Amino acid sequence: VLQRPSTVLQGTLDLLILKALSTGELHGLGVSRRIQQITDGTFVVQPGSLFPALHRLEEAGWLKATWQPSENNRRAKYYRLTRAGRRQLGEETAEWNRIALAIARALEA
Amino acid sequence: MPHRVMEAGVQLICRLCSLWRNLVHRDRMETDVDDEVRAAFDMLLDENVARGMTPDEARRAATLQLGRVESLKAQVLDAKTGALWAAFLQDVRYGIRLLIRSPVFTLFAIASLALGIGATGSIFLLLDHIVLRTLPVAEPDRLVLASFRTPGRPFNYSLPYPQFAQIRERSTALESVFAINPFGRVTVAVGAQAQMAEGMCVTGDYYRTLRLLPALGRLLMPGDDRPGQAVAVLSHAFWRRGFAGRADVVGAAVALNGIPFTIVGVEPEAFNGVEVGRPYDIAVPMRALDVLNEGSPLWDQAFATWIYVMARLKPGVSLEQAEAESRELFRQASVAGARGEAERQLGRESTLRLEPGAAGANSDLRDTYGSWLRLLLMVFIAVLLLASLNVATLLLARSGARHREIATRLALGAGRERVVRQFLTESLLLGAIAGTFGFALASWGSRVLLRIAVPASERLPVDLTPDYRLVAFTAAVSLLTCVLFGCMPAIRATSPRALVISPLIGSSGRKRLLDRTLVAVQVALSLTLLVAAGLFLRTLGNIWALDTGYDRHNVLMFSVDARLAGRRGQDVPNTYARLLEALRTIPAAQSVTAAAVRPVSDNYYFVSSVRQVGDTSLPEDRRIRVAFNHVAPGFFRTLGISLIAGRDFDERDSLAAPKVVIVSERMARHFNGNPVGQQIRSGGDVLEVVGIVKDIRYANVKDAPREVLYFPMFQVQPARFFTPTFVIRSLGDSTALKRTVGEAVSHIDPGLTVFRMKTLEAQTEDSLSRERLLGTLTGYFGGFAVLLACIGLYGLMSYSVTQRTPEMGLRMALGAPPSAIRWLVVRNATTTVLAGAAVGLVASSAGAGLIRTQLFGIEPHDPIAFAASTLLLLVMAFVAAYLPACRASRIEPIVALRWE
Repeated sequence: VLQRPSTVLQGTLDLLILKALSTGELHGLGVSRRIQQITDGTFVVQPGSLFPALHRLEEAGWLKATWQPSENNRRAKYYRLTRAGRRQLGEETAEWNRIALAIARALEA
Repeated sequence: MPHRVMEAGVQLICRLCSLWRNLVHRDRMETDVDDEVRAAFDMLLDENVARGMTPDEARRAATLQLGRVESLKAQVLDAKTGALWAAFLQDVRYGIRLLIRSPVFTLFAIASLALGIGATGSIFLLLDHIVLRTLPVAEPDRLVLASFRTPGRPFNYSLPYPQFAQIRERSTALESVFAINPFGRVTVAVGAQAQMAEGMCVTGDYYRTLRLLPALGRLLMPGDDRPGQAVAVLSHAFWRRGFAGRADVVGAAVALNGIPFTIVGVEPEAFNGVEVGRPYDIAVPMRALDVLNEGSPLWDQAFATWIYVMARLKPGVSLEQAEAESRELFRQASVAGARGEAERQLGRESTLRLEPGAAGANSDLRDTYGSWLRLLLMVFIAVLLLASLNVATLLLARSGARHREIATRLALGAGRERVVRQFLTESLLLGAIAGTFGFALASWGSRVLLRIAVPASERLPVDLTPDYRLVAFTAAVSLLTCVLFGCMPAIRATSPRALVISPLIGSSGRKRLLDRTLVAVQVALSLTLLVAAGLFLRTLGNIWALDTGYDRHNVLMFSVDARLAGRRGQDVPNTYARLLEALRTIPAAQSVTAAAVRPVSDNYYFVSSVRQVGDTSLPEDRRIRVAFNHVAPGFFRTLGISLIAGRDFDERDSLAAPKVVIVSERMARHFNGNPVGQQIRSGGDVLEVVGIVKDIRYANVKDAPREVLYFPMFQVQPARFFTPTFVIRSLGDSTALKRTVGEAVSHIDPGLTVFRMKTLEAQTEDSLSRERLLGTLTGYFGGFAVLLACIGLYGLMSYSVTQRTPEMGLRMALGAPPSAIRWLVVRNATTTVLAGAAVGLVASSAGAGLIRTQLFGIEPHDPIAFAASTLLLLVMAFVAAYLPACRASRIEPIVALRWE
């Protein structure tokens, strides 16, 4: 697997994780793959960044984790958005759009 | 939406728990992270195998993809801890910012909570040390305490020696038995250096039964308790205080009241004796009383009670078994030691009782203050409840003031959990700060209280070092109050109704029901306290105003004991006589005398019975119980007790002269005809009545006047002289005499030490210390409670005025006079206050019955106390409501209408 830009801004990573989980619960590797999928492979999140971030978001109350059987009948820890997490996703999306727009304008100018 | 609040509260608690888990149960969390990482690894492994790799290749590939398991784990754990701390600190920072933003509220909340927590904590500390604690010895629950009674009499914790000896020798159920006798003041001299100490004598098994180990040297052993064995053990505190904690004290020679002893050891530090509130300084074997006491010790007297007895049960033996056996042994010894049929009968009917002795011997301090401390604890918990209700009211009012801000935030999508969490953090912070101050206040306050409660002792009778139990108590109390005052505003501020209703015209009313109820509860509680304070103060006033039969003004009293200076035999009364002579020469001394029992006794008093009055011999069941005193000439004149008939004692009434007695008025009524010249028989003596004096309240101001016999002090056998009190009536203020008296005493003998020097007024005050404490404490805290309730009321009314400003403005614009507006606000407060007062009055009359035993000279439903308290409360409540009312009446209509 070819690994392109692997360093992701932390805020961006949180946003991506929340977004990845917005359609349903996933386990750690699932989150990483979903991010890769929705960003068309632009972002590949390393496990060394992913797992700490998942736990940080869990402690912040945005994610909730439960142990469940996985597709291939192993046990895996599944994450899903809490209500607060969903709200956070909304706030961060709005914030991101504002900044992205501002930067895009700045670059066009 | 209360469940939201719950959720946020739960979340906050989860956060704290999680932090706790993270710090303490790191291993459990590690396992969880470990499992997760391994599961991910296994998943990759499976996929790789499914793609057709060999197991080895699959493993290598998975490791490459995931990184090293251990380092990944470490990264996750670090992130987790960091996030936890960050969130927690953020909450705390935000809380502090909120508190700083309203410093007046914060200061008030912290001060009132700290005062409440401190007061409750100080009483708890006292209760814990005096009532709840067990002895610091091994297996205290196997210790038992003995008492006995004869028919018709209460249980007596003082036992006679022969019965104790019988139980000690014969018992099979008790592992070991010991007896103690606190024998009071003793002079401890090392070389020329002498100091006063409290002495205790113990039988040989004392330390063995308690299973104590020495801090230094050895403790007393059974072999020490025999004649001629002059050894002593120091208490740890006395070793520190009197011997500077020197290690070479073991083996040192000391003189106790002039008799040589050897110090053999020092008691362990935690041990303060078996009687709470009566620590001793030096312990000697009980047989040493043979040389320390001049009177014949009571070893063989089966009906003289003077020792406290405790024992340790044998393993496997129940209290009941031991009691049954000891009871029989006690009876046998009583009958065997009886002299005459009456005593034999008494012996047969005596009943020994054993009770659990984990808390030590029967304690006067515990008896006097136990129930009283429980009462005070209830009072202070009420005050604390009130303080936290008050903080809740203010928080509510503030949440009202912050209503718009909160509603805006919620509307903008801020999580309700977050808003609620802020409230809770704020209250937890308040609670934590107040709890810290409260703890400090409690450790200081308990000392002050005990000092006031036990004014007679030179040192605090209980070691009140605050410990983990007080920490636990104050922490629990603080946390509970936080929950109490933190949750209500949180629920209210975020309830959906609060979001919908914006404060427009006429929106007050039902919505403030919670606030009104809180204020009403405060009014009720504070009125209850005020009534209690009123009752106690009236009690104190009644006692103080009692006619005691003597004049307590300008009287100075002090004690000396010639025996403590090493004098013996006839030398003892001679010294006192010389001292009386010397005192009479002091110019300011109007009249001088001495007595064995102080007019207001703080140590002991004497009782006896009279067998014959005049010619009438009284049968055993008709004997007159009397109190008696040994007094020097001039006693009645000095104390202002009038002589009704006959004469006072004088120099004629010496040891060689015929025995005489002066009787009290009440005693005189038992005679036929004029008592003067008649005879009575009391104890073994036949005495001639030479005078009659007015009744006085003997020994205790609250005791009703009783039959009293006065014997001439110098007609008492020298060996039976008790430590006398010298009494001086002066022309002016008697406190000025103190120095002159000290000089006179040391002029007689430099070895004599003056102690318990007090004016009669001060002695009376001290004897009422309990009533005074109860009165002043409930008074102060009642006042504090009323103040709190009024602040609550003021807050409520101010808020209501702010809220109804548009309405008021409209009314005024329509022509309502300012007085009508004021009346509107006051009327608004009236219902709340009256409802609270009514509940308070009902609670007070129910509660007054509980304190009946603490009252004197008034009924629990004393109308004056009730009326005065209610009036005071209503006046203060009116002021609290009137101030916002005035503000309301000054509203400019036009400003009000533009308010929104």
